[in-house]
Amino acid sequence: MKKTLIYLFGFLAVPFFFTTYAFAHTPLCSCYDNGDGTITCEGGFSDGSSAAGVSMTVQDKDGKAVTEGRMTEDSEFTFKKPEGDYTVVFDAGPGHVVEVPGSEITE
Amino acid sequence: MKKLVMLLSLVAAFALSAPAYAHFQTIYTPQSALSKTQKINIKLIFTHPWEAGHTMDIGKDQSGKIHPPIAFGVMHKGKKKDLLETLKAITFTSLSNKGRAYDVNMKLKGMGDHVFYFVPAPYYEGAEDIYIQQCTKAIYNIAGAPTDWDALVGDPLPTEIVPLDKPYSIWKGMSFRGVVTCGGKPVPDAEIEVTYMNHNIEGNNFVTKENMEIPQPDLVPIGIKADSNGEFSFTFPKAGWWGFCALGAGGDLKYNGKELSQDAVIWVQVVDIK
Repeated sequence: MKKTLIYLFGFLAVPFFFTTYAFAHTPLCSCYDNGDGTITCEGGFSDGSSAAGVSMTVQDKDGKAVTEGRMTEDSEFTFKKPEGDYTVVFDAGPGHVVEVPGSEITE
Repeated sequence: MKKLVMLLSLVAAFALSAPAYAHFQTIYTPQSALSKTQKINIKLIFTHPWEAGHTMDIGKDQSGKIHPPIAFGVMHKGKKKDLLETLKAITFTSLSNKGRAYDVNMKLKGMGDHVFYFVPAPYYEGAEDIYIQQCTKAIYNIAGAPTDWDALVGDPLPTEIVPLDKPYSIWKGMSFRGVVTCGGKPVPDAEIEVTYMNHNIEGNNFVTKENMEIPQPDLVPIGIKADSNGEFSFTFPKAGWWGFCALGAGGDLKYNGKELSQDAVIWVQVVDIK
């Protein structure tokens, strides 16, 4: 009986903890056009933790990286606005990626 | 003699029910949770939101003179920015009159919480022969990052309600908890009025349409109390903007020789569920 309970607990609780983690820790990234030919993106997590050091990539319409860098200590990343369509990729690891289409980035 | 007693008790009953007028200072914008940096309009209106009733001239003293607001600003990532000079005087039209209000068009820039705060000059309320000064907060968020919503603003707010739940992340049926504070310390047993913006704002007017039929008209605003730690909670039956006003939370004060009710107000937006 005890064993069954332990197994039951294991089966139910482990996936539960994993799921909770993913939900409780949503990656966030929001960008705006500075109006001077540059874009600034800010990052973070839904629990308020910093995004300092998170990998940032700006891709052109073919998915090719045109700019690469990392979030600063203030969880910011500023880059030169590319010509044409582009996408900003905030990559904090598997399950923690945010893609921001350039078309949604306004002043 | 009996008649006089009856008349007096009627007058007394009326006078006692006067606080049911429920003045509320607003810091209003249509949406509190925004997805990205954008331009917003904020309106500061001193009114009776539940009935879209009498709108007061913000900062009007006993002689009828209107004094300019004392403080208006925003706190973002721990830094406060003074916005007093950006305020523009407007005339706001309620369902029954017009009053002096203020608004500002601005760009709300940067991910995280933007805690707006307002301190008006005291308003003389003739019906109660007191001055009222409502220190008001409203918290808007961009892109979900929690940065400042639970922090005490402090100076220039002598009294304020500090949220224990994100005021822009409440769905219908959820609750809001807050702590009434004065000088950063909890105000035990604070008396709180709860109001609902029952008429939407369009331009500089209230619209006539009601969002809800008030089930107990004699009992609005809803009265609640903080506990011995200054903490209160309220569960929302309806989506929209709800306001909390901790009466006299600033303590026993006088202004121009009259009683000053220095209240702490906070606005919370409840989102509907489909």
